[in-house]
Amino acid sequence: MAEMPERRFRYAGRLRKARPGATLLESLPGAGLPNVVRSVRYHRPRAAFCGLGHCTGCLVRANGVPNVRACQFVVCDGDRVEPANGWPSPRFDLLGILDVLLPNGIDTLRGFRRPAWAAGAYQRVVRRLSGFSSLPRTAPRTAAIPPRSIDADAVVVGAGPGGRAAAERLVARGVRPLVLDRSLAAFAIDGADAIGGATAVFLPPPRTSPTASFTMLATTDDGGALTVRAPTVVLAPGSYDASLLFEGNDRPGVMTADLAIRLSRGPRGYPLRRAIVVGGGSRAAAVVDRIGSSVGAVVAPGEIGPEVARRASDLEIPLYPRTLLLRANGRRHVRSVGLRTRGGGPRFSLDCDSIVLAHRRLPNAQLFFQAGARTRWQPEPGAYFPEVTTDGTTTVPGLSAAGSAGGPAGGPAPDPSAAPELAGYYRELVREPRRGKWIACACEDVLLSELEQAVKRGFTGMEVVKRYTGLGTGLCQGRYCAPDALLLLSILEGRPAPAVGFITQRPPVVPTRLDALASLHGEFLAEVVE
Amino acid sequence: MILRRDSYRTVVVGGGIVGLFTAYHLARAGGGPILVVDSGFLSSGASGRNGGGVRQQWETPSTVRLAREAVHAYRRFGLEFGYNIWFRQGGYLFLAETPAELDRLRRVHDVVRAQGLPSRVLDAEGVAGLVDGIAPGAVVGGSYLRTDGTLYPFPAVWGVYEAVRSLGVEVALGVELLSVRQHEQRVAGVATSAGAVETPVVVNAAGGWSAEVSGRAGLPVSNVASRHEILATEPAKPFLDPMVVRASDGLYFSQSMRGEIVGGMTVPHAPGTARGVPSSPRFLTSMARALTQLVPRLGSLRVLRSWTGYYDDTPDGLPVIGPDPRLAGFVHANGFGGHGFMLAPSATRRVAASVLGESVDLDPAEFSPARFLTTPARAPVERLQLG
Repeated sequence: MAEMPERRFRYAGRLRKARPGATLLESLPGAGLPNVVRSVRYHRPRAAFCGLGHCTGCLVRANGVPNVRACQFVVCDGDRVEPANGWPSPRFDLLGILDVLLPNGIDTLRGFRRPAWAAGAYQRVVRRLSGFSSLPRTAPRTAAIPPRSIDADAVVVGAGPGGRAAAERLVARGVRPLVLDRSLAAFAIDGADAIGGATAVFLPPPRTSPTASFTMLATTDDGGALTVRAPTVVLAPGSYDASLLFEGNDRPGVMTADLAIRLSRGPRGYPLRRAIVVGGGSRAAAVVDRIGSSVGAVVAPGEIGPEVARRASDLEIPLYPRTLLLRANGRRHVRSVGLRTRGGGPRFSLDCDSIVLAHRRLPNAQLFFQAGARTRWQPEPGAYFPEVTTDGTTTVPGLSAAGSAGGPAGGPAPDPSAAPELAGYYRELVREPRRGKWIACACEDVLLSELEQAVKRGFTGMEVVKRYTGLGTGLCQGRYCAPDALLLLSILEGRPAPAVGFITQRPPVVPTRLDALASLHGEFLAEVVE
Repeated sequence: MILRRDSYRTVVVGGGIVGLFTAYHLARAGGGPILVVDSGFLSSGASGRNGGGVRQQWETPSTVRLAREAVHAYRRFGLEFGYNIWFRQGGYLFLAETPAELDRLRRVHDVVRAQGLPSRVLDAEGVAGLVDGIAPGAVVGGSYLRTDGTLYPFPAVWGVYEAVRSLGVEVALGVELLSVRQHEQRVAGVATSAGAVETPVVVNAAGGWSAEVSGRAGLPVSNVASRHEILATEPAKPFLDPMVVRASDGLYFSQSMRGEIVGGMTVPHAPGTARGVPSSPRFLTSMARALTQLVPRLGSLRVLRSWTGYYDDTPDGLPVIGPDPRLAGFVHANGFGGHGFMLAPSATRRVAASVLGESVDLDPAEFSPARFLTTPARAPVERLQLG
């Protein structure tokens, strides 16, 4: 590796080097958790949280383009990268004083109204603080990539275990599927076509014609776009690790298991020298397998299952089942975690440099919602899954599910001993005294107190609370806040979670460049929308 | 949901901005008890789905006057209703791609100017000064009114909702109007999904569903619901002050207080008012194409989400305000054609006055529901049906 030529790029004007094929996340100072951006409202220090390109923890401006996710951006020679949203820099941001001066947050709904003559000045200041970075002066270079239009017998989204198995089943039936996957890694499947670095962004319901066929929109990492038409679609988009609400859950060093596993492939050291792993099921066990010797403790909202217990016993890792996470201490990065045994036990704290959330995996169900498939609430893990028959068929003819996003029928059976019982957990947690900000939505810096305020004033239900507080309207589109907000609202409103409703999935699945979408416009010109 | 009373002085159908403002003016004038019913949740209709534009540039003087009054109301909103709607007067910029379109905008400008508003006609250079990065040669000019602007629709709904509730108005959400009971050519009561109540007055402020509601009272109307789509991008630092509008394809977009580009355009849709209809690839791709052709530097900006809502269109492009001559006590407050938010504060004053039997300073030839009974296929009068 050392002999391969290094990529040279500039970050904040300074020349830096990167390993070929490495992303910005791994190539910036900070060992996988660089401070490249501050939060949008209170300028709180942030770092990568999800490692999947969804959260707002690693946004930079790259070659003039705003909101580039450092965790997804592979460095090339000559790239110019700037940090986002910090003055003078995200590391030493004078606007960070906002967070200190406003311990209870600001009220953009009811505040800034008086005196009336100052409204213009308030608007100018608040507007200047909006956004993470500026647009480029000119059109981006990649705008000219020609679109592709592909007809396939079947399309499989996702080349994980579930998608691969589905593709192989199709091949065995004599069908040649097209497999799309976000990852660039080779995933050759005999008898199938494959496009890597491709993200399915929009799957409208099939047209109600005799030859009902799906038209899927996808984008590619090179900035291009494609449409795929197929009568059969298998969705195997997999799952992701959920967030958890506690004070300081947005601090650098708090991360999902998705990111921790990714960082564990890099050099050992901060931020995984002394990690608190959260969760008691198979995902937590997988994290312990990866970073075993640097796990300081395993803390679980519910029980700790045998998989984790066995590994912990081998490595002499202390276990804290049925424990409330109250607070991540440390401003610039996590230094310790404040805990309390459930049921009114004593408070205590553990030193750590990271908190790895591996307590709950949720399905990437967006494409099912878009396509109009009926979904069903599963109390465990607390999410909507597509309704499927035993062979994975959804309620939309031609559309089926594979892998973990297909629900318990499609993936491995859930581990009942490791069920986090989050509803009961949160019922206890919301009664705990609070000192600082409890961030319920990190993209938009929405506080738990704002949710409580909304409900208190009579604005209830997920859709209304979303509009009232802005929760779920940020860059991750509710992936990390909505599942927990749903449980919290269920408690605050005193009705079951399904009655609280959920945020409607609005296309696209992931934020999609205007130029990529524009390149496809000719494909749909003849269409009268039904 | 159980209704609190079995008799009301007025039942307002529709809990959007038009229905709530109507209830507000009625309650302030002592017109209670009032019941507002809405079949969805608060802000589930067009009041929670629009782009927040508020403009005073119209073809008809009466609409300009209503809009000017609405702008004054929205400027005071924070003090009156306790919610900050962030009404930012960044102006409205209409684009002209041809000299003929510029001539048309000039005529609009004359109407607006005659009402005492500081509208301006701009050349291509003037437009480029307002839209940083507009493609060279994309426009020949435009018209601009700096006191137009954009607001956040949600807090406006919350503010009026709380205000009417504190005035004693009952707002029943998730309750549908099923039928209107009549007695001797008069409204006598309504049947709702939460039970039947007596009332001498029904106000139809149901937006996209207003034709359906009138139909349930046995009154066929000319209103047609049309589906429109809209998108929001990821935020960028502020670079665009005005709402930008183009008549040829109905394109409109502005940059919100949060930095997102929010906008839509017109693409053909099949009729229908089903709730929960998803966005279309045709809209997403056409809108993306229109935006990037007009302002190429937007190309790398990402679309965050897109959604749909309904306009309540009338044949002549003007709203329907006032009592229905066929059924005493049935009052229209609909047909706003996608501009309910812009005109609600002022238009609903007239609705309330009409309910209370006071004099209304609107030309019945322009706004009365009777105009479609004599000439159902009226020619378009107000053609600026966008943004």
